Amino acid sequence: MRLSTYNFLTSKAIKGVKVGFPLKLTIAKQDVVESEFNPTFIERLLPRLDWSGIRLAAEVAGLNDDIPAELPANVAENEELLKKLHHLLLEIDVLEGQLECPETGRVFPITDGIPNMLLNEDEV
Amino acid sequence: METPYTDHLTSIDYEQVYEPAEDSFLLLDALEADLSFIESLQPQVCLEVGPGSGIIVTALAKKLKETLCLATDINPYACKATKKTANHNGTFVESINCNLVDLLRKKTIDLLVFNPPYVVTSDEELKNQSYTNSQITFSWAGGVHGRRVIDELLKSLDSILSAKGVFYLLALRENKPDELIINLNTLGFTAIKFMERRIPGEYLYILKITRK
Ligand SMILES: C[S@@+](CC[C@H](N)C(=O)[O-])C[C@H]1O[C@@H](n2cnc3c(N)ncnc32)[C@H](O)[C@@H]1O
Repeated sequence: MRLSTYNFLTSKAIKGVKVGFPLKLTIAKQDVVESEFNPTFIERLLPRLDWSGIRLAAEVAGLNDDIPAELPANVAENEELLKKLHHLLLEIDVLEGQLECPETGRVFPITDGIPNMLLNEDEV
Repeated sequence: METPYTDHLTSIDYEQVYEPAEDSFLLLDALEADLSFIESLQPQVCLEVGPGSGIIVTALAKKLKETLCLATDINPYACKATKKTANHNGTFVESINCNLVDLLRKKTIDLLVFNPPYVVTSDEELKNQSYTNSQITFSWAGGVHGRRVIDELLKSLDSILSAKGVFYLLALRENKPDELIINLNTLGFTAIKFMERRIPGEYLYILKITRK
């Protein structure tokens, strides 16, 4: 699971959960998959991403020095930051680990890079 | 659009995962025919619900290089197959093992694609699959009128689709496409029959759905 995907996952579907975002991420095993830097891709995606989720991902991946507390206004001209975001969001691939609902503590395991987010009937 | 290679999947895989068939190819053809429209949307995020082998979302990922491509399938084998297929074709698709769009942040999907389990069955057949361990039942059992899973997704459509979002849905004549179009209208969407095709034993449609 890449950290860009992490930004789109919530546990809101669980009965009683109000926000369910961001999920708590734990990484047990990760891969770094080099991919071609495409500034347009990152720039376009940014407005769709939640900055607090990006910050949390950076923290868990040990890259918090790379990512500022707030999204700077002129990010399109800031190639250095775009490259760091590219690395964080598209190159780090979580192979084993878990996601945890911030409100209920329900754990979703990540195995072979695939998060298992199936809920039981009595949870929804 | 190039049809992705699937030669890494064998008959053993297809015991657990839906093998691409006429319906898959119709959906691919429809997406190809509408590709310039899709590209003009500049979609940030694409989601295929129920990717099965991953053939469709992989074709999209190969073409849409500036789009994040995600896939959700209730069948863990399909999730694995989808990742493999993307990888085998030199691209990346994220697989998430979950029900429909339940676990995704609101209004985030610009391009949504679904070839649903559309076969008319009893509701029991659809329910019982969760207790048997045959994951393949998920790929076809659609309950009454083959509409159970389609209707469940339509309920979440407004909350998941972005403002500019478009949704391509495959439906069978028995799924009552005209009724689907009316229901979608009530939900605030415009739906048209974008493509249709007769195949042995079935008559299939692709509905193209956008916000009004
Ligand atoms: C007809 S197959 C289509 C497979 C592939 N997209 C294709 O066109 O060849 C339907 C797929 O939907 C999946 N599916 C069924 N119910 C689902 C649900 N509630 N949530 C997510 N996926 C589901 C099945 O596991 C299966 O992979």
